[in-house]
Amino acid sequence: MRMKILTVLLLASCTPESEEADDAAAFELLSPRQQLIRLSVDLRGIHPSEVELQAIEQAPALYDKFADEWLEQPAFIERTKELFNYRFLSRTGDTYFDIAQRDLSNVGDAKMGEFIANEPLALLEYIIDNDLPYSYIVTAPHSMANPQLAQMWDMYYPEDSRGWQPVIYKDGRPHSGMLTMTTMWERYPSMGGNANRHRANAISKMFLCDDYLSRPVVLNRAAVDQLTIDPENAISVNASCQSCHSTLDPIASNFFGFFNYDDQLGIERTMYRPEMEEEWRYYSGKEPGYYGRPTSNIIEFGEQLAKDQRFMDCAVKTVFEGLTQREITDNDWSEVQPHANRFAETGQNIRELMRSIVKSDEYKAATVNNVDRAQEIATVKLVSPAQLESIIEDKTGYKWTFNGRDGLTTNDMGLPTLMGGIDSRSIVEPSYTPSVGGLFIQERLAMSAGFYVASTDLALDREGPARLLKFVTIEDTPEASPDAFDAQIRDLYLQLTGIPLPVDATEPNELMQLWKYQYSIEADPTRAWSSVVSAVLRDPNIIFY
Amino acid sequence: MNLRDKIFIRKVVAAHSRRNFLKGAGAVLAGSSALTMPWQARAEAHGRERKFLFFWAGGGWDTCAVLDPHYESGDVDMEPLTQLSTAGGLKFTGGEVRLQTERFMARWAPYTSIVNGINVHSVGHDSATKFVLTGTSASSYSDWPTLLASNGRYEYPLPHVVFSGPSFPGTNGAAVVRAGGGTLLDLIDGSIIGQADRAAPLPPPPADSQIDAFVRRRISDYAAKQTGLGRSRADALLSNMERSMELEGRRFEAGLDDLGNNVLDQAVKATELFRLGLSRTAMIRIPGGFDTHGSQLPQGVMQDNFFGVLDQVFDHLSRTPGQTSEFLIDEVVVVATGEFGRTPRLNGGGGKDHWPYGSMLVAGAGVNGNRMLGKTDAGLIAEPIDFATGQPSGTGEMLAIENVGTALLELGNLDASRFLPGIQVFNGLLRNPR
Repeated sequence: MRMKILTVLLLASCTPESEEADDAAAFELLSPRQQLIRLSVDLRGIHPSEVELQAIEQAPALYDKFADEWLEQPAFIERTKELFNYRFLSRTGDTYFDIAQRDLSNVGDAKMGEFIANEPLALLEYIIDNDLPYSYIVTAPHSMANPQLAQMWDMYYPEDSRGWQPVIYKDGRPHSGMLTMTTMWERYPSMGGNANRHRANAISKMFLCDDYLSRPVVLNRAAVDQLTIDPENAISVNASCQSCHSTLDPIASNFFGFFNYDDQLGIERTMYRPEMEEEWRYYSGKEPGYYGRPTSNIIEFGEQLAKDQRFMDCAVKTVFEGLTQREITDNDWSEVQPHANRFAETGQNIRELMRSIVKSDEYKAATVNNVDRAQEIATVKLVSPAQLESIIEDKTGYKWTFNGRDGLTTNDMGLPTLMGGIDSRSIVEPSYTPSVGGLFIQERLAMSAGFYVASTDLALDREGPARLLKFVTIEDTPEASPDAFDAQIRDLYLQLTGIPLPVDATEPNELMQLWKYQYSIEADPTRAWSSVVSAVLRDPNIIFY
Repeated sequence: MNLRDKIFIRKVVAAHSRRNFLKGAGAVLAGSSALTMPWQARAEAHGRERKFLFFWAGGGWDTCAVLDPHYESGDVDMEPLTQLSTAGGLKFTGGEVRLQTERFMARWAPYTSIVNGINVHSVGHDSATKFVLTGTSASSYSDWPTLLASNGRYEYPLPHVVFSGPSFPGTNGAAVVRAGGGTLLDLIDGSIIGQADRAAPLPPPPADSQIDAFVRRRISDYAAKQTGLGRSRADALLSNMERSMELEGRRFEAGLDDLGNNVLDQAVKATELFRLGLSRTAMIRIPGGFDTHGSQLPQGVMQDNFFGVLDQVFDHLSRTPGQTSEFLIDEVVVVATGEFGRTPRLNGGGGKDHWPYGSMLVAGAGVNGNRMLGKTDAGLIAEPIDFATGQPSGTGEMLAIENVGTALLELGNLDASRFLPGIQVFNGLLRNPR
């Protein structure tokens, strides 16, 4: 419902001047330093360097230049993939089949699961890399694969190539971007009487932000009786059923080439079968189409889908909600419309959409002046598990891995979901409210990284400059070198959070006391500094941005 | 309990806030080292608030296998070797292949209501799960256990523990703790940092506590500077910081080294968390796959096994001292359900397909026990009922999952109209409706 209203509002041709004037005073903005931290975490997954922060303090107008530069960096694409996975939900980690069926056991299930999940997201990356319109995601005459995925899903992989490349399937299927990817139809399977309806609704959810299952349906006793006796007939003639099925079933009918659920075939059942294309006649009996217009094949369907205004609005919604960490409401039209306009004007360019959003006042807001909206607009944002991992690694050099696998970007240990992330299967919406699990994750990661920093920076045989502990040596104590300790602790805050401590801050003294206490227990300066660094790494200015 | 303890408990109850509680505790503790520990006092206060243990039958259980027998109908395929059984006011599918079910019903019928004919609005697994647990299909709504945990009178370190099974945190993600896989325990006791490829030692406990206190103050200062939604998120960070500190301090007392590997262990652990005031709600998935399209045979076995577990859980609740009640059984509500029911007739493969009417077992504190509530006809289709009595009525209304869910919220002493305005509460489930 909200999206429908939003769509109507987005179609409105202009914004009243009075509303624009209200908007101008709607927010108090973050300081330039804090703005740049927010921007950097969102686009690069790391904090800015102190040099960059000092530069923007000198010249706040540099914000736009930083945004332009960082929007060209690879990390921005990774971030965009993370946001769109909230919509596509392909990162389940599933391989769907025993990978030994394709002689891929040497790759391992975990790695292969990542490759499979990346098929649609690699196409998104290809679109951004090549400044193609977002509509290409459902019209591309190819899929994407690396050599392993090409072997798994039986695709032609170009000779003498490496990495992710545009590819086509060997089974002769039509190609229409994500609409013809095996990964998608394994992620969203359909069997029996469901007759591709699950897939049709998945398309609606992913590309139109419209979930048929969220529509209220009232079935009376007669309708239930009818459904019991002859479900397909009831769906066709009952008005309540038709309120959804009149448009859902024609969408589903486009995909019968993929409708093969014979488990006996193993991985061969992923093959596209042209001879199955007409099977809709035996199920819904509804000719393939797209909201009242007939379609003769999936390619035509993809073209119709891409022309739908809701398709574009859904992309805007996905990016806007991901970056602002809030759900779009009916009150949002004045904020969202300029971004939607920019997206349309630039030919559905994702990078330009992101640019428009991160340069807006709402994005930079520290405070919302309108009391009614203050509880809707997030002025404090929570880092995602992937962002926390990359921030800590960038600052300390420590990467939290278990058996060679990332702790916070893979779900092997369940850490991302404990922190509010998704697993794309049972947990499909991120939580932006800190959880107790997230607190423990930050604490334990901080302990690990703190010990790593202290033990490497204070090592007598250290090669090169210290990463963080530059003002003290292993010989120093608070009693003998209070100024060095004070400078070191202040610098830790500056380097790790990007926010300097006030001159009269009590933190240096408190952390010196902590150092002394820790040292009194174990007489180990490395352990004592480890505790101090970990305390700073647990600062709210790291988990929030 | 001495007078000072009583005064302290009153302060805790009045504060309604974990932060105020901590400050108060600090002040009291400064005055006396022999005083009851703060969490002990708080646990006593928590006893006045009902706790909820949810069991989830993933896949959609066959309501006829136990809860909604239809031997009178030629249109419902009932399992061979079963028969209609009764216990108190309850009627259920019993017989020689339901011995554990028979035992449960015979022992615990006075505490138990069976609710049949619940319209769950969907026969799709995902959407029906969402409907059954939230009463809506909107993504922003929290499920019943999350609402209960996050809107109680008191705060809990692990408000809603998801041992296994579905969870819809909605906008109350801070209240949900996923215990799956043991990782949470490794985080609480710190052992996870020793499992990393680059391991590190844990700081000794006194230093660890000092760091926690320091970080807590930083978060508190940070939260004080925020406004609106930013303040809400920062406050959630602060609350969870305090929860994490309490959990670290109480992990031995709570036995948090092991959350159990089977449904009985997990259920007992959940009740321990309730008893200690650490949690208000828990979700546990019932073992087995109930989506029996291919063969109906496993349904009866799985459900009978579950009732065997439930019998032991109630035995535990009835023997374990409560906080303000004599035993936990008077403080805990047990809810068992799945996403929908299954068709009345067997399909061609000997299984049963999805059906839009479900059944729920609700038992324990505050429940109008010994009653069959709601009704399905000989075709397994719901009949209208009187919401006040739960009994069929020609002038009644159709029972839907949101009516039952709001009754659960009322059982938890929440005003259901705050969360689902305009939904009629199914008062027939409540021993003492408002």
